Amino acid sequence: MSQFEALFRPLKINQLTIRNRVVSTAHAEVYATDNGMTTERYVKYYEEKAKGGCGLSICGGSSVVSIDSPQSWWSSVNLSTDRIIPHFQNLADAVHKHGGKIMIQISHMGRRSRWDGEHWPNLMSPSGIREPVHRATCKTIEVEEIERVIADFAQAARRAKEGGLDGVELSAVHQHLIDQFWSPRVNKRTDQWGGAFENRMRFGMEVLKAVRDEVGRDFAVGIRICGDEFHPDGLNQDDMKQIAKYYNDTGLLDFFGVVGSGCDTHNTLANVIPNMSYPPEPFLHLAAGIKEVVDVPVIHAQNIKDPNQAERILEAGYVDFVGMTRAHIADPHIIAKIKMNQVDQIRQCVGANYCIDRQYQGLDVLCIQNAATSREHMGLPHLIEKTTGAIRKVLVIGGGPGGMEAARVAAERGHAVTLIEKTSELGGQITLAARAPQRDQIAGITRWYALELARLGVELCLDTIADAAMVRDLRPDVCILATGGIPFLEQNPEWGFDNGLVVSSWDILSGRVDPGENVLVYDTICEFSGMSVADYLAAKGSQVELVTDDIKPGVGIGGTTFPTYYRSLYEREVIMSSDLVLDKVYAEGNKKVAVLENEYTGQQEERVVDQIVIENGTRPDEALYYELKEGSVNRGQIDVDALFACQAQPALHDSGSGMILWRLGDCVSQRNTHAAIYDALRLCKDL
Amino acid sequence: MTILDWLLPAVLVVALTLLFIGAIRRVQLWRAGRPDSVNLVACLLAMPRRYLVDLHHVVERDKVMSDTHVATAGGFVLSMILILIVHLFGINSASLNGALLIATALMFTGSMSVYKRRLNPPARLSKGPWMRLPKSLLVFSGSFFLLTLLTSGFLPEGFGSWVLVAVLMAGVTLGVMELLFGMGWGGPMKHAFAGALHLAFHRRPERFGGGRSTGLKPVNLDGPLGVSEPADFKWNQLLGFDACVQCGRCEAACPAFAAGQPLNPKKLIQDMVVGLAGGSDSRYAGSPYPGKEIGKAQGGPHRPIVGSLVSADTLWSCTTCRACVEECPMMIEHVDAIVDMRRHLTLERGETPNKGAELLDNLIATDNPGGYNPGSRMNWAADLDLPLMAEKKEAEVLFWVSDGCFDMRSQRILRAFVSILKTAGVDFAVLGNEECDSGDVARRLGDDATFKSLARHNIATLARYRFRRIVTTDPHAFHVLKNEYGDFYPEGKEGDYEVLHHSTFINELVEHGKLKLDAFRGGAVTYHDPCYLGRYNGEYDSPRSLLAALGIQVREMERSGYRSRCCGGGGGAPITDIPGKHRIADMRMDDAREVQARTIAVACQQCTAMLEGVVEPRPEIRDLAELVADALIVESTGARAEYVTEEVY
Repeated sequence: MSQFEALFRPLKINQLTIRNRVVSTAHAEVYATDNGMTTERYVKYYEEKAKGGCGLSICGGSSVVSIDSPQSWWSSVNLSTDRIIPHFQNLADAVHKHGGKIMIQISHMGRRSRWDGEHWPNLMSPSGIREPVHRATCKTIEVEEIERVIADFAQAARRAKEGGLDGVELSAVHQHLIDQFWSPRVNKRTDQWGGAFENRMRFGMEVLKAVRDEVGRDFAVGIRICGDEFHPDGLNQDDMKQIAKYYNDTGLLDFFGVVGSGCDTHNTLANVIPNMSYPPEPFLHLAAGIKEVVDVPVIHAQNIKDPNQAERILEAGYVDFVGMTRAHIADPHIIAKIKMNQVDQIRQCVGANYCIDRQYQGLDVLCIQNAATSREHMGLPHLIEKTTGAIRKVLVIGGGPGGMEAARVAAERGHAVTLIEKTSELGGQITLAARAPQRDQIAGITRWYALELARLGVELCLDTIADAAMVRDLRPDVCILATGGIPFLEQNPEWGFDNGLVVSSWDILSGRVDPGENVLVYDTICEFSGMSVADYLAAKGSQVELVTDDIKPGVGIGGTTFPTYYRSLYEREVIMSSDLVLDKVYAEGNKKVAVLENEYTGQQEERVVDQIVIENGTRPDEALYYELKEGSVNRGQIDVDALFACQAQPALHDSGSGMILWRLGDCVSQRNTHAAIYDALRLCKDL
Repeated sequence: MTILDWLLPAVLVVALTLLFIGAIRRVQLWRAGRPDSVNLVACLLAMPRRYLVDLHHVVERDKVMSDTHVATAGGFVLSMILILIVHLFGINSASLNGALLIATALMFTGSMSVYKRRLNPPARLSKGPWMRLPKSLLVFSGSFFLLTLLTSGFLPEGFGSWVLVAVLMAGVTLGVMELLFGMGWGGPMKHAFAGALHLAFHRRPERFGGGRSTGLKPVNLDGPLGVSEPADFKWNQLLGFDACVQCGRCEAACPAFAAGQPLNPKKLIQDMVVGLAGGSDSRYAGSPYPGKEIGKAQGGPHRPIVGSLVSADTLWSCTTCRACVEECPMMIEHVDAIVDMRRHLTLERGETPNKGAELLDNLIATDNPGGYNPGSRMNWAADLDLPLMAEKKEAEVLFWVSDGCFDMRSQRILRAFVSILKTAGVDFAVLGNEECDSGDVARRLGDDATFKSLARHNIATLARYRFRRIVTTDPHAFHVLKNEYGDFYPEGKEGDYEVLHHSTFINELVEHGKLKLDAFRGGAVTYHDPCYLGRYNGEYDSPRSLLAALGIQVREMERSGYRSRCCGGGGGAPITDIPGKHRIADMRMDDAREVQARTIAVACQQCTAMLEGVVEPRPEIRDLAELVADALIVESTGARAEYVTEEVY
């Protein structure tokens, strides 16, 4: 039982006792939609973490202190007005009720934003240099503005304190205004706010002093910094240690948060929230370096997902707190499960970065595998209670994510569940996705389901093709079809699928078809699958050209993941071509000729290759559905009003006998993993 | 009939003389033990009531055997008195003769029942001379009945021939040899003589008259530590061993025996008898220590026990559950003896097996058995904001947290209890890092020195604060605080507080209307009585009435209440970890499965740990505090509810 001793050793931050060493670090939730005021959704999201045992949550990544630091793009929290105070009180109460602590990150984002909305501000930065990730041009900040922003920081901290929050974290990371002043890459000033070390430090120092003056000595104030900007002209680890020590020595700070890597380019941004292609805790050494020079606790979050990993880091003393933020998005009850000796039941983050990639698109943060996260306010449960009604016989056909979630939830409800899968393993398309280089960790989704289904006693029938007769023989009360889709290669008959001229990305990733020597991948979808198959082929030694009719290969992939694909594809000399439609394929001897047509000029060009792989999405596998539809009591229909309201399907209330039939996931229409899991959860939670 | 006039008294005189000589010799054997001062007269005067009432209560659990014994023993005692009057002193009267006839007839009837039972005796009974005893009883009572008929004049003059007289005399001789000579010289009837004196000079007189005495006696740390040879026992302990009737009720109750570990409490007591009298166990005719051969053990009053008479594994197999003591119709104290011998192994020889030595080292270095940082006792409650005695100085209730604070599973029980305390608005405080291990395990492992230092330390800590009651969720801490700390208080400064187990305390809160409970909805529930709560402290009712308050109808296991089967976790047994054929916890789980329980309600974190160690699928294990905390109806308005931390599980 001493296995997690270090993890559960409480530690004080200023006057606060944090009950364990696990922190949900600041991230933009994109839930504070009501003009920057935290909503019920926001509160419930953090309450769930506290209920699950999280020691400290730092909410509100990039919450703004000033009205000219726009918040609407990411719906971040707006601390520039006293209106926020009562909202904070709700938030603080909800977290404190469960023994948790909650702080908020406060910031002025400077040039790291967009000006073309909300109040249409002129963005400000020490030297007016454009920021590339947001394509943000900005003005050079004037001294009067510097002083105003310093005062804004102090007022924002006061609002957090008056709202009952436990502390504030100043953001000097991710190239916000404070670290824009720090970095010689961005700060070219020659006045007292730039140039020499003390001058570059001045803005942050004045902010810190003003905040401390406002909130007093006993209120927790920390700072989040980067450990190394990873730019030759930026701040390296030695610079950061010097900065950390400089601020530490004032005695005004209560903790440091450390993130490895700067993020004002697409490539460095991917480091900040390491996806599944990274090793565990890739930047821990940078945080440990900062810990060497400071006297207060250091928090570090980057790819720490596993309790044993967390314990190892803490036990070794590299840092004082581990940030397990995505780990909490995947499973807010991670701490409770450790305490319950249910480590096997933790739904572990797989680093798919669905959460953060949505955030960078201005969409609400959701988990690829846990559809209840951030939907607590809608009544979607993390813990599914047993039904008090009739025990039903539930038949799930298809072992992909939707089918696995349906089976899990139905079994948690206490029903007798059978899952039929035609292949020899669970996972569906996740299994294919995991075969690509650097994508193997996505199989963690399946691994968790396999463990849970075994724990819950779901009867698994693998290598079994379900037909209508079998379903009728089994006489289920509820039949859920999650049969998925089939690669859609017939869309253009000229592709020659019927003549065997092209193969699908599934054929390649599954290993059914060996990679050719010279391969053209034609990808109309521009998400993971096309990039993955190109990467897979290149890794196997093929010469690959990745062609799309869209504006750029992988354009549908979020900002923390396309860079890691690009790193690999460029390294392997994959040629990426855009704006070309695959018009036709024909054979020429052993070779295949792809006829490509430029979308904008109509000009055609040809490629002579050994193999043409097409990624054109899927069509629903719906044959079984239409065979069963007529015989079902609900004629296969899902009541969308009830579904969208997360309420029980009316068909469940009808006492008549007969089979209820639902279908979900790609066998309805192609969407994604999260969509299939979300539908399965909201359909089955009231089963 | 003149031959009878002198022969019968002669036989009686010889037998009585032999009995007397034997008894003196036996007493001498007991006197080899260490002194224990007793009030001879008062003890002897107390004996009849102890025999007729207290012992009878235990024997009566088996009604048939109880009646049998009343008839046989009662008949014998009565017969013997009358035989001496009539046949030795020759005081003859029709009424005396009639009474003697009735007494012998009664004894004969009883003996028939003994005889019948011995036709197909249960495995727990010893065989050997004990198989002869019913016959001897029948011969004795039958012969005296007929002889009295002959001498009483109830039969016509000249009835019967010299052959009959000779046969009857032979019978009488055989009978008195078994019943009188045998009594003094180590035959089965020894139990009557030794048993009567054992009851008189019992080391735990508190057990008589409905009392309870379960706390271990302290070791004099200035003398020899523990028991190395039989003569190291107190004399009245040796006497107690001699009282054993080898009925094997202890054997049938012993969890270690059932698990195939090398312990049989009956054999252990018989080995002690071998030790006090000298010789070997070759004549022992009962079940062996599982896995050990009979006939190899040698002993003598001044020969070391461990090694030649009893193996150390036998002593370390005991869970100190007291099931044997509870069952023993002779009220023998097996556990005291075992711990006495463990004390020698631990304190003199330093031979605590397996993790035992490490655990004791931890206790010495860190005041807790796991060797955790003693400053981390409150980690489990970092978010609960518990009032500390050091700050509060005074509270109605001192919540004794115990070492469960270091264990994640136990922490859930502790947290559940805290939410109950808060919901009920109890004025309580904890000692926090000032608390030390209660010393229970150290003491059961024989390390009375460490126990004493922990007890003294805790007593000094407790003395700094004012409180009326100590409440703990740990029955082991409960037991030592309640029953064993008393010996270590400075003279005249005894603690003025009550010690309660949380089941008692919560039940009281419910009865006083301080808690509102929802009904439990989780299917069939059974309740496992922890040894240190039940047998050690007699608390069987509060847990059950609490469960009733949750709307639970307990499905009682066959072994429950005072007959509850140990989980295997007591006495340091999980630490010394002596291998057997089964695990005790598995057997206990089977008991629960037999009554189709979905949940086993427990009241001890050690039981929780042991039972949860059984591989799934198995019933869920829930402490009473957890069941109650789950069912709490917390008023949503009012300040009180606000600081009750809602847990996910």
